[in-house]
Amino acid sequence: MLRLADIVVHYGDREILHGVDVAVGRGELLAVLGANGSGKSTLLKAAAGLTPAARGSVTVDEKPRGIRDTALVFQKIHLVGRRSALDNVCAGALARLPLHKSLTPALFPRDVREEAMGCLERVGLANRAHDRAGSLSGGQQQRVAIARALCQRAPVVLADEPVSALDPAAAEQVLALLAQLAHAEGLAVLAVLHQPDLARRHADRIVGLRDGVVVLEGDPNQPVDVLYENREPEVATP
Amino acid sequence: MSVLEAPRAKVPPKPRNPRTVVVGWIIAAVVVAVHVIAWRATDISFAALAEGWAGMADFLAEAIPPDLSPDLLLESAEASLVTLWIGLLGTTLSVPLSLILALLAARTISPAGWVYQVTRAILSFLRAVPDVVFALIFVTAVGLGPFPGVLALVAHNVGVMGKLWAETLEEADPGPATALRSAGAGRIQVAAHALLPSVLPQLVGLLLYRFDVNVRSSLVLGLVGAGGIGFLINQSIQLFQFDQMLTHILVVLVLIIAVDRLSAVVRRRLTPEAA
Ligand SMILES: Nc1ncnc2c1ncn2[C@@H]1O[C@H](COP(=O)(O)OP(=O)(O)O)[C@@H](O)[C@H]1O
Ligand SMILES: [Mg+2]
Repeated sequence: MLRLADIVVHYGDREILHGVDVAVGRGELLAVLGANGSGKSTLLKAAAGLTPAARGSVTVDEKPRGIRDTALVFQKIHLVGRRSALDNVCAGALARLPLHKSLTPALFPRDVREEAMGCLERVGLANRAHDRAGSLSGGQQQRVAIARALCQRAPVVLADEPVSALDPAAAEQVLALLAQLAHAEGLAVLAVLHQPDLARRHADRIVGLRDGVVVLEGDPNQPVDVLYENREPEVATP
Repeated sequence: MSVLEAPRAKVPPKPRNPRTVVVGWIIAAVVVAVHVIAWRATDISFAALAEGWAGMADFLAEAIPPDLSPDLLLESAEASLVTLWIGLLGTTLSVPLSLILALLAARTISPAGWVYQVTRAILSFLRAVPDVVFALIFVTAVGLGPFPGVLALVAHNVGVMGKLWAETLEEADPGPATALRSAGAGRIQVAAHALLPSVLPQLVGLLLYRFDVNVRSSLVLGLVGAGGIGFLINQSIQLFQFDQMLTHILVVLVLIIAVDRLSAVVRRRLTPEAA
C-alpha cells in the first residue's frame, strides 16, 4: 500500500537519508526503530510530504502519494484543549468541507458529526465525546488524535513517537489500538517507536534505521542492539 | 538540632569590562542631557505653580460642596450612561475589523509577507492617531454628539486591539494548527478551528481591557464635543459652574470604578481556565 522507494533527503548540505526503501502493507503495523538522529522523523515527514525528497518516490497503491492519502499522529498531541473531543475529531474532516459548512463546529453537517462519533467509538471514547479534550488523560487525548486521523479517511496512518509522552500503561493501550485498527480495518500504519520492546509486542514488522540507512528489517523479535551501540557522541547541530 | 552553617568563602572581585563602564557613563550622560532639554522646552516653573496654588484653592472652594440637586444628578447620570454606551459600541463595533486585520497581521497565518506588512502599517497608523484627533475629524464630518465619538473610538481601537490580538495569535501553540494543516485544512479553517479557539480567553480578556480603556477615553472625547458626560464637564467649566463640574466628576467616577471592577472580575474568571 504505502511504498517509499530510494528516498534521499538533504537538510542543507547534509544528506540525512541515503536511499531508504520501506513498504507498509494494508492491515499492517510497521514500527520504525533507531537511535536519536538516525532519521526516523525525517523518513516520516518524507512519507507525509512535509519534507521534499531529493530523490526517490512515495506511492500509495502504486500512485504518487496524494494529500488525502496520509494522516498524521504526533508525539505532542496537538488537540485544541478547550474544544470537545468530538469537535476535535470533526476537524479531521475539514479538508472535504466547504467553508460555509465548517466555519464553526456548530456548522458541521450532521453526517460529519456522526462519522466523527463513529471514529470516537472505534478508539473507545464514545462516552467522552462532549468532554473538553484538555480534561482527558494523555492516553485518551492520543486516542482522540487517532480518531481525528481516522476521520480524515486516509488509508495510511503515520505516527511519530505516538506514545513517548505517555505512561507505560497508556502506551500499551494506544499501540494495541493502532495494531487493531491496522488488522481489523485494513489501514497501513507506520509508527516511529522509541522502545524496541513495544515494537516486539505490537508491531507486525520492524525497520531499523541507523544514520539514514536501513540496517535491519523484518521480524520484531530479532535483536536490535546494532541500532543503538557504538554511537558517536551526538553532535550539536546549529 | 542546630542549623549547620556553611564555611565562609572569599568572594572574588567581579570582573569589569572597561567598555561596559564607558558605555554606562555615556548612557547616563545622554539621559541627563535629554532631561535638561525637556525641562527647558516644557517651561517647568515652580514659581508659577506656587502662584497658581491660590487660584486652585479658589477653584476648589467654589467646587465644594458639589451641587447635588436631583435634576443635576439625573442629567449627570444620563450623560454618564451615554459615555458608557459610546465606550461599549466603540469596543464591540471594532471587533469584526480588528479580527480580520489581526488574522492578516499575525505572522504565523498571514497569507503573504506583503499582506503582513500592509496590515501592520494600517494598524500602526490607526494606533498612532489619538482617538481625540479622530473625534475632532468625525465631529467636523458628522456634527456634534455621541456618534462621532463612537466612530473615533472604533477607528483608534481597531489599531490597538488588532495589534494586541495579532500578537496573541502569534503566541498561540502552533501544534494544533500544524495538525490541521497536515490534515488538509485551509488557512481560514486552521484559524477557525486551531488558533482562535486556543486563544479565545486571552482575546476576550483583551477585549474587556479595551472596553475599560474606551469608556475612560469616551469621557475625554466628550470634552471635544463628542457627547456624553465629558461634554457636560466642559460646559460647566466654561460657565464657571464648578460645583456642577464636581458633581459630574463624582458621578463619572462611580461609573468608571464600576466598569473597572466588572472587567477585572470577568477577566479573573477567564484566566485560571488552563487550556
Ligand atoms: N529541519 C532540520 N534542519 C536541519 N537538520 C535537521 C532538521 N531536522 C532534522 N535534522 C537532522 O537530521 C538528522 C535526523 O533527524 P530526525 O529525522 O529528526 O531523527 P530521529 O527522528 O530519528 O531522532 C539529525 O541529525 C538532525 O539533526
Ligand atoms: Mg524524531
